[in-house]
Amino acid sequence: MNRNRLFTHDRGPRKFWERALSFVMLTGENCFKVPVFGCQRCGECLLSHTAFICCQRCPKRLRNGPCGGTRDNGHCEVFPERFCVWYRIHRRARFLGRNTLLNSTERIHNWKLEKTSAWLNVFTRRIPPPTLFVKRRRHES
Amino acid sequence: MNLRERLESDAFIVTAEMGPPQSAGHGVIRKKAAHFTRVDGVNITDNQTGIVRLSSIAAARICLEEGLEPVIQVTCRDRNRIAIQSDLLGAAAMGIENILCLTGDYPTFGDHPEARPVYDLDSIQLIALVSAMNEGTLLSGQKLKTATRYLIGGAANPFARPLDARILRLKKKISNGARFIQTQPVFDLPAFHQWVERVRQEGLNEKAALLAGVMPVKSVRALTFMRDQVPGMRVHPDCISRMASAKDPEEEGVRMAVETINRLRETPGIRGIHLMPLLWESITPVILEKSNLARRTEP
Ligand code: SF4
Ligand code: SF4
Repeated sequence: MNRNRLFTHDRGPRKFWERALSFVMLTGENCFKVPVFGCQRCGECLLSHTAFICCQRCPKRLRNGPCGGTRDNGHCEVFPERFCVWYRIHRRARFLGRNTLLNSTERIHNWKLEKTSAWLNVFTRRIPPPTLFVKRRRHES
Repeated sequence: MNLRERLESDAFIVTAEMGPPQSAGHGVIRKKAAHFTRVDGVNITDNQTGIVRLSSIAAARICLEEGLEPVIQVTCRDRNRIAIQSDLLGAAAMGIENILCLTGDYPTFGDHPEARPVYDLDSIQLIALVSAMNEGTLLSGQKLKTATRYLIGGAANPFARPLDARILRLKKKISNGARFIQTQPVFDLPAFHQWVERVRQEGLNEKAALLAGVMPVKSVRALTFMRDQVPGMRVHPDCISRMASAKDPEEEGVRMAVETINRLRETPGIRGIHLMPLLWESITPVILEKSNLARRTEP
């Protein structure tokens, strides 16, 4: 599946068995992804591309990188007392050597996939599969 | 020469920002427009900082009637993809040709903090969307009978950290079709030069024109407010001490803006400036005159 397409025309899980399965899997995801990553159940998971910090915790729900309002100390423009999510993502991506994954332009969020199971969506090829391993390159800034 | 032609030539570009009024009258816009006859493009803000104002597209139309070249700002704060596409089609039909795509400030800073923020798209996706509309398709895949002909711009913040993230976002904007990039107002030249250096290393300044933001300030209070309250701004301590010790702060503010412009003109990689005389539009001709940019547009 092409990650670089701007949008998808997907109506989300509609058949009965799909919705039932999505519900069951979402419950499973909620038990794991919500406490561990603070998942917001967007259904188009980017976790593997954002160094395992959920980018949807950004108040603007940006999927492509930090907004222009990030403060000098890396705090969020909306909530000055907490770090900008994207600041943390960039820091950790660098630490884990996964910053090449941030290069792609993420497509526009499909709201029909909101509150569906991201794992099932990978399985039914609605969203691209996570990228687990990145080859580390030596000469990279 | 319009903005697009100026971008393609080597000319130095001057754009300026104008805030539409908080009223239903058009007189103020026409009066303000008189200050901007010497610039190549007038940016019309789109409910800046979340405060309700006259719509940027309507104001742009009035500016067009006054003989200016408007650049509309479009933010993703208030509209979803349906409204944005429809507004852009409307603006194109009214003869507006330039657009600056922004993510938009969060509504908590404005006069309607209880509003629901939309952010259906972000600025990069918006740029990609306008590029698609220029090629004649809507998001739905529907073909347009007449495609739009927008010159697309984006914004960049040279001061926020980490620098990698800023450069990456800039790269994404340019690869999705942004032709000019306007920056936050520069009050910290060393930090700005550091950013320009990185941009030039990546070769991005050749793919899009960089317009550096310049903001004339009236008082030291405005500067400290900007430093403390406006997210993503950086003010050099020298600027503040200069303004604080000035006898006539307004004159000193103009002098500082002119100096900044002159320094920016010498910076390689900078194609132009973007003036942001916030609530002080009448100063634009003075600054242009003092920095010898006023007569540049004459044949
Ligand atoms: S599914 Fe969406 S909201 Fe949940 S962790 Fe992944 S990116 Fe974040
Ligand atoms: S500063 Fe960071 S977390 Fe806050 S709104 Fe901007 S991108 Fe999102």
